[in-house]
Amino acid sequence: MNKISKNWIYRHSYNARICHWVTAVSFVYLLYSGIMIFLQFPELYWGKVGFQGYPAIFRLSDWGLSWEEADALGDRRWGRNYHYLFAWVFVINGIIYLGWNAWQKSFYRKIFPTRGELSVSNFKAEFVRHLRFKAVDRKKAEHYNVLQKLSYLIVLFLLFPFMIISGFAQMPAFTAISPELIDLFGGRQTARTLHVVCTVLLTLFVIVHLVEVMVAGAVNQVRSMIIGKYEVPTEISEEA
Amino acid sequence: MKKKEEKRKEATLTRRKLLTRTGALSGILLTGCDTQFYRPPIIRDGLMGVADILTMASQRLLLSEQQLVQEHSVSEITKDFPVWNQSNPEDEEYQRLRAGGYREWRLPVTGMVNQPVSLSLEELKRIPRRTQTTMHICEQGWSAIAQWTGAPLLSVLEAAGGVKNGARYIVIDAYGGWYEGYDMFDVVHPQTILAYGMNGKDLPLGNGAPVRLRVERHCGYKQIKFIKSIQVVSSMEGFGRGTGGLNSDYGFHWYAGA
Repeated sequence: MNKISKNWIYRHSYNARICHWVTAVSFVYLLYSGIMIFLQFPELYWGKVGFQGYPAIFRLSDWGLSWEEADALGDRRWGRNYHYLFAWVFVINGIIYLGWNAWQKSFYRKIFPTRGELSVSNFKAEFVRHLRFKAVDRKKAEHYNVLQKLSYLIVLFLLFPFMIISGFAQMPAFTAISPELIDLFGGRQTARTLHVVCTVLLTLFVIVHLVEVMVAGAVNQVRSMIIGKYEVPTEISEEA
Repeated sequence: MKKKEEKRKEATLTRRKLLTRTGALSGILLTGCDTQFYRPPIIRDGLMGVADILTMASQRLLLSEQQLVQEHSVSEITKDFPVWNQSNPEDEEYQRLRAGGYREWRLPVTGMVNQPVSLSLEELKRIPRRTQTTMHICEQGWSAIAQWTGAPLLSVLEAAGGVKNGARYIVIDAYGGWYEGYDMFDVVHPQTILAYGMNGKDLPLGNGAPVRLRVERHCGYKQIKFIKSIQVVSSMEGFGRGTGGLNSDYGFHWYAGA
């Protein structure tokens, strides 16, 4: 019986768990409300200007959903209200998460890869292990692996900030607050298009993230993100 | 960088001009740090209201110097500027004025002003005009660039003797039943103009002839067309549902800077 208690490791702090779920809920609302807004203007353009009839780089109607059909599915009044509400939830939660982890130096300990991890052989090994959908052994289960670390870094410090900044660059007030920001994107419509591209990337991340959770054991993983403790597979821990 | 400095200088000069005018406009506070500018006329229930205030307060703080919006070059003007919402009001009076070339169109400026007036289009055009080439950003997602010419809204209020103490919003009524409210933070902005010209010509019918508002730091739905009258008020109570405009009565944000 003692053995069983040894098989639990403490994996996620309070802060990480709460912020994770707030982010998850925000993401779902932001994605859904964003789609509701997009459906009522389902075209993307490049540069400063763009409108119905202007050369578009993406048209939903080319993919089988006409403007009228998309318009009927969308609801930008609901969408805009919830998009801004959850943008604030997301931003405030993000500031708390980043501040806490910077203070605890946990990015350094947990998410920044070590030099050894960045070696080609380690990449290869991790990549092959992922392709085989193999779970990790006990020693490694306590840490994030290198592919995990890199994808978390990209999401936290690249994609999330990019979503916020490309959101700002679409706001009329920013034509006065910081037109330089809009110019940096190459124009208001480019910012809107890249906002959508980044949404697609984040959605892909979430899909891969969910698949990984399934592979590693959905119950154990989700439970650890709720109670903090993670159960290490018994036969592997006995080996160790 | 130079351009930015010039722009800032222009904004500061205009602000100083506004400050020296405060005799006529003693009711208007000019700083962005006044908390009355951080909230819409009605704060919505729950978290939605909190989010509204966060958005409005953060943007108003960042805009507290009344910076000008970016102006574009004439070569960037969009051909075929889109027309949305009403393009020709089904209103008997409007159609009569339109048939008469808007010669009989009058703009009453009433409410909490010292000398209520009713301006003709000619009188409006005699006010020192401002021309600006700016980007129109619609909440739907599209954007287009046009050049607008018109009388600064602040000058129009001056023509009405300035506003009285306690004046907080202006309400603009339009033919066809639209109305929209704006707070003094937007009224005093140098690029807030009553536009009668577009791309060097008279304002076309679909874009709101004879006069529409340009309130550049907001989404398209605040740029009210087919203007009928202006009232200066202390509260939005009694107008529609009291939220401050037809769009916000309908559930859109009253503050449309985001």
